[in-house]
Amino acid sequence: MATLISSNRSRGIKNSLAKWLITLGGISVLFTLVLIFMYLLYVVKPIFESAKIEQAVNINIDSTSNEKVLGSGVDELKELAYQITAAGNIDFYHLKASDPKADNQFTVGDNSLSTSLFVSDDFNEEQVIKVVNSFSQNKLLHTTKGKTLLIQPSFYATYANDTREIIPQVNYPLGQESLIIDEQQIPLSQLAFAIDDERIVFVGFTEDKRLIKTSFIAEDDFSSSNGDDVGYETIFQQIEIFDDVIDGNIDEIKVTPDLSLAFIRSASTVYVYSLNDDEEVSLKATIRPILDNENTYLTSMGLLSGSSSVLLGDSSGRVSQWFEVATDDGRQFKQIRSFKADNDQASSDNVEYDNKSQLSNAITAIYTEQYRKSFYTMTRSGMVNAFYTTSAAHLWQGQLTSTQPETFAIAPRANGLIVIVNDPLDVHKKSLQVFSVHNEHPEVTWQALWQEVWYEGYPEPDYVWQSTSGSDDFEGKFSLVPISFGTIKAALYAMLFAVPIALTAAIYTAYFMTPGLRKKVKPTIEMMEALPTVILGFLAGLWLAPIMEEYLPAIFLLFIFLPLATLITAFSWHKLPNQLKEKLPETLAPILLIPVIILATYVAFSLSPVLEDSLFNGDMRQYLTNDLGIDFDQRNALVVGIAMGFAVIPTIFSMAEDAIFSVPGHLTSGSLALGATQWQTLIGVVLLTASPGIFSAIMMGLGRAVGETMIVLMATGNTPILDWSIFQGMRTLAANIAVEMPESEVGSSHYRILFLAAFVLFIFTFIFNTAAEFVRQRLREKYSSM
Amino acid sequence: MISISPKALAPGSDTSFTKKLDLTNLTPEQVALDINKLNLFYGKKQALNNISMSIPKGQVTAFIGPSGCGKSTLLRSINRMNDLVDDCHITGEINLHGNNIYDKHIDVAELRRKVGMVFQRPNPFPKTIYENVVYGLRIMGENNRRKLDEAAEQSLRSAALWNEVKDRLHESALGLSGGQQQRLVIARAIAIQPEVLLLDEPTSALDPISTLTIEELINDLKKQFTVVIVTHNMQQAARVSDQTAFMYMGDLIEYSDTNTLFTTPLKKKTEDYITGRYG
Repeated sequence: MATLISSNRSRGIKNSLAKWLITLGGISVLFTLVLIFMYLLYVVKPIFESAKIEQAVNINIDSTSNEKVLGSGVDELKELAYQITAAGNIDFYHLKASDPKADNQFTVGDNSLSTSLFVSDDFNEEQVIKVVNSFSQNKLLHTTKGKTLLIQPSFYATYANDTREIIPQVNYPLGQESLIIDEQQIPLSQLAFAIDDERIVFVGFTEDKRLIKTSFIAEDDFSSSNGDDVGYETIFQQIEIFDDVIDGNIDEIKVTPDLSLAFIRSASTVYVYSLNDDEEVSLKATIRPILDNENTYLTSMGLLSGSSSVLLGDSSGRVSQWFEVATDDGRQFKQIRSFKADNDQASSDNVEYDNKSQLSNAITAIYTEQYRKSFYTMTRSGMVNAFYTTSAAHLWQGQLTSTQPETFAIAPRANGLIVIVNDPLDVHKKSLQVFSVHNEHPEVTWQALWQEVWYEGYPEPDYVWQSTSGSDDFEGKFSLVPISFGTIKAALYAMLFAVPIALTAAIYTAYFMTPGLRKKVKPTIEMMEALPTVILGFLAGLWLAPIMEEYLPAIFLLFIFLPLATLITAFSWHKLPNQLKEKLPETLAPILLIPVIILATYVAFSLSPVLEDSLFNGDMRQYLTNDLGIDFDQRNALVVGIAMGFAVIPTIFSMAEDAIFSVPGHLTSGSLALGATQWQTLIGVVLLTASPGIFSAIMMGLGRAVGETMIVLMATGNTPILDWSIFQGMRTLAANIAVEMPESEVGSSHYRILFLAAFVLFIFTFIFNTAAEFVRQRLREKYSSM
Repeated sequence: MISISPKALAPGSDTSFTKKLDLTNLTPEQVALDINKLNLFYGKKQALNNISMSIPKGQVTAFIGPSGCGKSTLLRSINRMNDLVDDCHITGEINLHGNNIYDKHIDVAELRRKVGMVFQRPNPFPKTIYENVVYGLRIMGENNRRKLDEAAEQSLRSAALWNEVKDRLHESALGLSGGQQQRLVIARAIAIQPEVLLLDEPTSALDPISTLTIEELINDLKKQFTVVIVTHNMQQAARVSDQTAFMYMGDLIEYSDTNTLFTTPLKKKTEDYITGRYG
């Protein structure tokens, strides 16, 4: 009885140690999986967060002179803000220091401490009436007497005493003297301009109601000069105003940053002029938006970054986006989408009519970001709405200030807003307010990822993946549909190729092959699985694809010839006299196939040119493209199907073969004993019993094909198109991540969307595997053998 | 030293009323199977040595003997299940209706329809009870629903299973108990109306009650079929069979009516075996 107490302590310790180690291992596997999942979600999450705007700085400005503020801005790091006043002064404010007034620290031009922008004698006691902004940092000051000055507030950093200090500076790209924009030097009531390295184009509307275009053409280069002696040639032109412009009045002018178009708004009509020709300004199009009702009219206009889209705001608070679209009648401006803040404040209670009977939610101004397709709208009551055009997202809505601010500017990195507002209670008090904007990923919404989006310049809404381009103001196209589609297409073509081969091979090996041969064949095929897929991809892309292009008919012939040749050989073997068969080793039958297959392949390739000559006018690829209108890529679904098919065959074969082979012999005998033939037994009993295993084999193969990277990367051509055609390539989620991840900026929308693509891939394989497991369990319950 | 009387062991059976046949001199009408000088080799090893015997029609013939004596091999030769074994080589003849079943013109599938077989372990297919029973008919190409239904009921009744499964014909056969599964397999075998039914230790995997049921069933089956049963349970052989063949090391030692073999064996080896000296 005493021996009931464990006599061997080390055995007990080993047992519990093993138990703990196994538990630890299992839990850490689960934990790692969860961690990967969490990390993906953690990276992806910010793109679905809504924008946040909050006040960061509020500086009170003493304004004893009650001077109007006409412009404002901030440096890239949001450390120095400035305002431009009607007297022509520029005042800089430290946003991070305790004493915000910083005007004793900055230098203007050649180290002058003056805060006045008017250096030249041209400007004598003048009042600025207008500060015109452009997409660059250049600003145009226009005075009551019709004089114009181009300035460029800029900032540079010094590292005195090891601390970074931002030093403001004002440049005069065209010198400090007044520019002559109107030949007759009459003040302009409306003015817009755009600048590039070689040219500056001004479009203005004079007080005597002339619409003028003035171009400065640099002798050298505007950007390289320091503003001292810039030589340029001036071309003055007058633009004809059409009769239907009411009272000949122009309300707003915008010039695109690429200097190609001028949008001129007169009441509710927008005239689009082409500025490309220095000789003649021609009317390109007329935009007459359909407004809600007859009391609605256009109130403002804005240009979206990228020179393509114009935004029109109306008195009902709606903003519509227009760009040129190729139609049957040539390129035409079309309304693409419209944005309206469905704010109950504006629509129900607070529907006020001011003395101009204008609704309080009429858009008074549209402010657009420099690089992205975001824009802000302002209403008379100071209500601000932020939108993003591509994703049609309404990003933010709110009241930054209690009244409409005097100036409103977007920080260069679009991460802040600078607003100067009058104190409604005290006219001598103003405040400069800086709001920080957290809006890193406005272009990503569920719709933009998964639905058709009408991108700029496209004839119709479409699913497009195009993440990068050469230009800064490029509209990112992040539709996951084409790459998800590509994944499924590649996997399906691979399965189409692999499943019949792998399953028939598995059936033959498990059910008909002699045990000796099976022992050799099975490990050989399983070894194929260890073949690095990069080799398969490399062979497929660089060797197979060109051959297939050249001998296209041969490839299709092979799909007929190989099974046919195999069947004929098998039948001949079957018909061979028994005496002869007994003398030959049984392994000979499959080996006999090798020369047959080589012969069939040779015949197919030899027939290929003959077929091309007789059926396809000499070249099948040309025939497909020219006569049938089928696009042909060299690296296409056929190549991928075959290459990736080879990669998944060992997976499917190995599992299916195991499943078939492990069907208990007594079931097979039971069926045979009932007078069933081998074939009937195979179909009626063996495959039925093995069906759970065969099904999981196929699903494992599918899962592998979906997640496969190297082959699709090298053999698909990586074109993200939505087309089932076997002759076209595709781009898959996995390949897309592999291609683009090294190039994407960490933390950018693109980067996060790639993580989202990874997450989608994860979900894909998760769904396939879960469905496989579920069906397998069901089948196993139904067909499990005893 | 127990001498077994079949009557004492199985009071219900009435083997004593069966007219004794002269097994060495059967008329052709009385013979179901005629085994003639059968030798069987697994590779170079001989498993059956020159077996000759006649199995009478409409009776139960039992093969007994110690493990490895070749009784199952002999049984499996009768419907050529040994064909599935590699390196199996046979000489001699087994005649069914005067045709040698090892003749090269014989269709093995057709032979197996005439000579049904039930194995040691119940082996229902992973299908419904109904589909299991009609499997043999379906592979013969019978798809008439009414005929299949009739055959299914008929066979299940013959296998004494109908009352237990008639309400769940379309449920999985794998839900049945071991004894029910074995009766289902018998029903499946008799659904195609074979002439001979081979039973390879049909009760060795079953509990005593199921065994009894199967034994009673065998007694009924011989009215329709010639039954050949392999068993290493001598009591069972004594209970169910009319004729018994005792085999040892691939040789047929003694073959006579059951009563004689168990009460007055002619050979010493037989006596030693039935009295439990080896086996």
